[in-house]
Amino acid sequence: MLNVSDVWVRYRMAREKPRTLQEYVIYRLRGGTIAYDELLALRGVSLSVERGETLGVIGANGAGKSTLLKVIAGVIRPTRGTVDVTGRVAPLIGLGTGFDPELTGLENAYLNAAILGRTRKEIDAQLSSIIEFAELGEFIHSPLRTYSSGMVVRLAFAIATEVEPAVLLIDEVLAVGDEHFTAKCEKRIMGFKDDGVAMVFVSHAMSAVSRLCDRVLWLDHGAPRMCGDPQPVIDAYVRASHTPGDVGQPA
Amino acid sequence: MIGSMTEVVDIVRHRELLRNLVLRDIKIRYKRSILGFVWVMLNPALTMLVLSVVFAELFHASLREFTPYVLSGLVLWLFFAQSTSVALKSFVGNGPLITTVALPKAVFPLSAVLSALVNLVLSSVPLFGLLAAFGVPLTREVVLLPVAILEVFVFACGVALTLSTVTVFFQDMTYIYDVLLVAWMYLTPIFYPVSIIPAKFQWLTHLNPMIPYLRAFRACIYLRSDTLGEDLWYGLVWAIVAFAVGWVLYQRFKDRIVYHL
Repeated sequence: MLNVSDVWVRYRMAREKPRTLQEYVIYRLRGGTIAYDELLALRGVSLSVERGETLGVIGANGAGKSTLLKVIAGVIRPTRGTVDVTGRVAPLIGLGTGFDPELTGLENAYLNAAILGRTRKEIDAQLSSIIEFAELGEFIHSPLRTYSSGMVVRLAFAIATEVEPAVLLIDEVLAVGDEHFTAKCEKRIMGFKDDGVAMVFVSHAMSAVSRLCDRVLWLDHGAPRMCGDPQPVIDAYVRASHTPGDVGQPA
Repeated sequence: MIGSMTEVVDIVRHRELLRNLVLRDIKIRYKRSILGFVWVMLNPALTMLVLSVVFAELFHASLREFTPYVLSGLVLWLFFAQSTSVALKSFVGNGPLITTVALPKAVFPLSAVLSALVNLVLSSVPLFGLLAAFGVPLTREVVLLPVAILEVFVFACGVALTLSTVTVFFQDMTYIYDVLLVAWMYLTPIFYPVSIIPAKFQWLTHLNPMIPYLRAFRACIYLRSDTLGEDLWYGLVWAIVAFAVGWVLYQRFKDRIVYHL
């Protein structure tokens, strides 16, 4: 389903970065050369997730968890290594980005589904079940700025998960509105799991990780430190986080 | 080269997104005003009215001659200015989206130019209405109007790609371009005839692509011109060069954009 092999992400960040063209020109005119820092966000990460399997990714802030998700989602191109996905990747990250407050829920649904790369025909066919799942009723014809934050996330979740993906990426536990809806979301995700969707789940909440995941990968400064059954990895990670000078505190 | 091709395929695959982005721009711009789409047409028409009264007086030209001149100039200039200045902010403005969803980023500047093109078409309505009202006949070259517009469109796309990419790395580009745009506007014969430029500076007009574009645009509507063929060739070259520069620049830096948003 998902195969990540020996992925490295390296990028250059200017040390004293001229943020403006003006600064850049002045800097260059004075004969300054720009010093770059090489940042290694990921260092040789390999993983594979099979059908119906859930992989948890843990690690301190800045360990490369989000970068890994972005590489899998195709937002960041790895410097080295490959990412192979059979089928569609659905990122359940930053729900609601790309929504426009001035447009109605319906118009936003069209826009958002288009952002996710769907065709108009597909969107037309999916629309009624999206609205039903999001439980928006007549509100679907009101501008998004009149929505509560819960309603926004409900709509976003409904659009993102309307089509069953091959790989689902989840960043942090879903806190989507009220308990009733959270339960509904979890049910849908669990249904995906039963249907054979591969999932990558990034979280700081160890209880959720041990409950949901079949395997856990511990990232430390961009490198894989440990991978295997959830409990041993979580235990080792928690122990290390409490050892000064080992890894950063888990937030 | 291969990267370029996959990007093009990707953009075609995301044409529904492109369509939706353009629709959004248009909807939002006119949603809150009662007059709605009428505004698009009224806005340049009113500006033109003020300008033409002032300038017709200044240049001792007749209103019948001057009003279509100013309006046509304004309509085309506004297309260029609007598309490029909106496109300039399109990567930075869509940062959250670009950093979470994999999509061909070029759709953002392209959609800015496309929605400005829709505006151009809409604001051409009062232009043609005015010509009819003054009884000014259209030239036979009107069949070439789509060609003239296409050239400016491609040129604007190139500038849009360049500006949006550069702005990701240099944030003051917004202010620099604002100033540049004002200067550029005054160096373009929108309100004044090209003939008032002193002879010794006439060669400078070759450096401003908006001059042949504007001349061709007017020639394809109502103003007879002996240089239409020449202007269209010039315009074609400018369009290809600008687009090539923008595309190459974007291709070169597109993978790094995500780190700077």
